[in-house]
Amino acid sequence: MGISELLGTYGNKYLQGLLATWSMTAVSFVFVMALAVLVTVARVSPYRPLRVAGDLYVQVFRNIPGVALLIIIAYALPDLGLVLDWRTCVIATTILLGSAFGSENFMSGINTIGVGQIEAARSIGLSFTQIIRRIVVPQALRTTVLPMTNLLIAVMLTTALGSQVPLSPQELTGVVSYVNTRATGGILAFLISALCYVGTAFVISLVGNRIDKRVRILR
Amino acid sequence: MSAARTLSMRDALYEAPGPKTRHRVRIGTAVSAVVVLLAIAAVIRQFWVTGQLAPRYWSLFLQWTTWRFLGQGLLGTVAVALTAGAIALVLGLTLMLGRTSGVRPLAALCRVVTDFFRGVPSLLLIYFFFFVPAQLGLKMPSFWMLALPVALAASGVLAEVFRAGVNAVPKGQVEAALSIGLSRAQTMRRVVLPQAVRYVIPSLIAQLVVVVKDTTVAYVVSFPDLMQNARVLITSYDALVSMYLVIAVIYILINYAINKASVYVAHRTGVKIIR
Repeated sequence: MGISELLGTYGNKYLQGLLATWSMTAVSFVFVMALAVLVTVARVSPYRPLRVAGDLYVQVFRNIPGVALLIIIAYALPDLGLVLDWRTCVIATTILLGSAFGSENFMSGINTIGVGQIEAARSIGLSFTQIIRRIVVPQALRTTVLPMTNLLIAVMLTTALGSQVPLSPQELTGVVSYVNTRATGGILAFLISALCYVGTAFVISLVGNRIDKRVRILR
Repeated sequence: MSAARTLSMRDALYEAPGPKTRHRVRIGTAVSAVVVLLAIAAVIRQFWVTGQLAPRYWSLFLQWTTWRFLGQGLLGTVAVALTAGAIALVLGLTLMLGRTSGVRPLAALCRVVTDFFRGVPSLLLIYFFFFVPAQLGLKMPSFWMLALPVALAASGVLAEVFRAGVNAVPKGQVEAALSIGLSRAQTMRRVVLPQAVRYVIPSLIAQLVVVVKDTTVAYVVSFPDLMQNARVLITSYDALVSMYLVIAVIYILINYAINKASVYVAHRTGVKIIR
């Protein structure tokens, strides 16, 4: 199958796939960030049960394989009385996985600040909220730009799990397997989707590097 | 705050509490404990209400044959993961050496290949090896249909890990090696690589987690790994929820152990984990 024939027959599918991948990535990432902040707050709170729960959350979702989590959400949760539509299942999976890594990024962002700065801040009389607002958050945010850029790319790649459930519209990986079960797509069918992924990742890391260069703290 | 006790950042954020704060923290701790326990209770209740705690869903785990079958699957997972890891190690090192070789076209090529495999989901690569060799008339065992794509996906990341390791070797050493008349290749082999490899060993171990996770989609190519064998058991015992939960816990424990090993090695050798 040549490129013109492939795009003529399935071009629309690929376009929908690209848009589906993009939209799932965007929606997931917003929630990933929100949830990562929440989990991180729990992990640095002075309340032990919250810390333990936060740490456990991160260990579980950092170490569980994506497919295993997706299968549990998509096929086991209905048996427990919770039925979600397919798209929500995929997005929930990427959010849970991503937020664990996001929280780890925030934690290492906080850890790079160093105990000395906190002690210095306290000794010049800053209050707890001032320390958090003026010292911790700005620095933690700046040092996590690059890791979060990589996380955004990872979230995009994780949405490929959508090919494991009957999504409609399908995302990029699902489209390729759809095309190949109907026609001999060959290498080209894969290359189109692959280039969509690589292109998006390229743009994301370009923007991320720009932002990082502007806000990076030189130590 | 004595220097002897290493203070973690999350503790350093708080001042030594006075009696009032101690009281407030105690209340907060109690409240949050209740909230966490209530959440756990709600989950267990949901299992109970939907009948998922019934013995018929869990009794299969008391049978020796269940664990033997899962164990066989686990062996499959380990075999694929180690094979893919070994291939990725060689490929990643090769890509890194190509990229830092100083030969322009080769460096550009290796860079493109590295970025390609880093920017593509491993599932897409797995589908590639599932469909394309068959379309070209090649017969490929399911083991390789899984091991090769997982290895390729990992090789891109490992190339970057190796490059970070090489960059971590002080420039002065390279300059010194070149100035005493070693060639570039000799400098790489004798001076840079031995140190770079030592720097990245913890990161290499940590990357094994990604490899293990990627092998979970073995059912796409119907290779009998842990997940695939679990699916077989589910159809024969009709115990979906319990089986998937147990499998998830096994995977989590394996990956947790790998991560711990990586941290341990990093701690022992005093290097930072590069991700």
